[in-house]
Amino acid sequence: MLPARQAMLIAYSTGILWLQRNPMSLVFTAISPFSLLFVLFVVSGGQYVHLAVAGSLVMALVGYGLALGQDISFYKTEYKIQDIFVASPVSPLTYMMGLALSELLFGLPALTVLAVLVVYFGGSLLTIPLLISSILLLWGSMSAMGFFISSHMLHMRNATQVISFVNVILAVLPPVFYSVTTLPDSLRYLSYAVPTTHASIMFQATMGLPVPADWSLGFGFAVQVAYLVGFVALAKTKAIWRET
Amino acid sequence: MLAIQAGHVSKVYKGSPYPALSDVSLEAESGQVFTLLGRNGAGKTTFVRICATQLMPTSGTIRVLGLDAVKQARQVRDLISVVPQEGRPLRALTPWDHVYNWLRIRGEGKERAKEKTETMLRRLELWDARTRPAMNLSGGMKQKVLVAMAMAVDAQLLFLDEPTIGLDPVSRRQVWSAIKDWKAQGRSILLTTHYMDEAEVLSDHLVIIDRGKVVAQGTVSDLRKVIPHNTRVDIAKDGLDADALSAYGSVTDTGAGMLRVFAFESAVRELSELAIRRNLSFTVSPVTLDDVFVYLVGKMEVNES
Repeated sequence: MLPARQAMLIAYSTGILWLQRNPMSLVFTAISPFSLLFVLFVVSGGQYVHLAVAGSLVMALVGYGLALGQDISFYKTEYKIQDIFVASPVSPLTYMMGLALSELLFGLPALTVLAVLVVYFGGSLLTIPLLISSILLLWGSMSAMGFFISSHMLHMRNATQVISFVNVILAVLPPVFYSVTTLPDSLRYLSYAVPTTHASIMFQATMGLPVPADWSLGFGFAVQVAYLVGFVALAKTKAIWRET
Repeated sequence: MLAIQAGHVSKVYKGSPYPALSDVSLEAESGQVFTLLGRNGAGKTTFVRICATQLMPTSGTIRVLGLDAVKQARQVRDLISVVPQEGRPLRALTPWDHVYNWLRIRGEGKERAKEKTETMLRRLELWDARTRPAMNLSGGMKQKVLVAMAMAVDAQLLFLDEPTIGLDPVSRRQVWSAIKDWKAQGRSILLTTHYMDEAEVLSDHLVIIDRGKVVAQGTVSDLRKVIPHNTRVDIAKDGLDADALSAYGSVTDTGAGMLRVFAFESAVRELSELAIRRNLSFTVSPVTLDDVFVYLVGKMEVNES
């Protein structure tokens, strides 16, 4: 059976069926990405709304991507469902893909609203391919990272703590909600090593905000693709599927 | 072909000073129910997880259906199905969702998956609860959902790690019956259980594991012979001296006001007459697997100490 079909069935079972029976989950998971957007909008009187939208979209993608790690940890340690998948023809990457799609379903309303805001502020439909590709790149690398991290966690609590920590490192500290140009040179170069910096700059660019002089779209894509490939490779080769 | 062939398998978990499995060698014929018996922490689940390609052994070789479970894990996974110990179905999903979608994920077509789901849910009396989310099912029904998922699959070898834990007697028998059907189709089962009656009813071959080592193995009747006597007489303790009974066989205190004498049939008549003379209640029964288990595992403990 095609892994893509297996992944869709996993997403259907863990995402769509859950949402059909617990539709309020959609509301609960949709609200959190707007919290910082709301605060920044109110505090700045609307002045930083573009940065806040870009930051919130990045934060949502990091959150939904890494949340996969929590799900995986839950299915592994609490439900032992992962044991059933391990002893079956389903590969770890297919399992990861299925649960990542499931997480994406939960995040769809928030991501849609934020993406529409990006396009609205950008004022051009031509930017949609750039926007979608940035979203997919970041979601993919964060999901693979979540899978990789959670596979090494023996307890659910550890997974939650580590994932919360990584969330802060990727979505709060780097220039995600603020402009990279406000950083001193040394920190700016350091922030370029973080994929979320590039995702935020791409979203800012899509909305027509100026990009830093030492940054280019190609550079941003290259870093994001490198992270995606790197983390998928890590998930494939170094994530713990069969326990040692 | 052998369903499982383990050669000197050992497993030491990181950070643990003791091996979970130590030099385990055994062979399970295909088309049989092969049962692992042991106390909690004896190493049963570790062995099952190694065979089911969920866990790597520290050393030794393990072949499952003729394939190397370490190097050919992907091929092995096409041929097996598992019920993990202490597994739970997903809260929002119904029994139908679990079985049907699992069959679809494992490659069954829609119609065939529907057919098999219905058959399995009816078989385990889950049909009436097929649309009820797992969070609203009883503990026993939840367990049966996992059994249904595993048994609906067209696998050659089924791993059942304590599949009837928490089930009521009727549900246990439904699972036993499904296991017998599975076996009747020429397929193999590796079962772990704490229940001696279950092991006795289902097993073609039994292995008793204690502290990671194989203590004894064979058929139920082979294992019964481990105890030198073939009959068990339980006599009310009132006024009886254990030493006085030791002439008839080995005596143990059951801890429930009874003395248990393992004796040969020839001594049963004398023991019965003794009990009747003193107006003491008594029962006579053949040696059970439970006795064998306590005898072997208890002996291990004495040897260890």
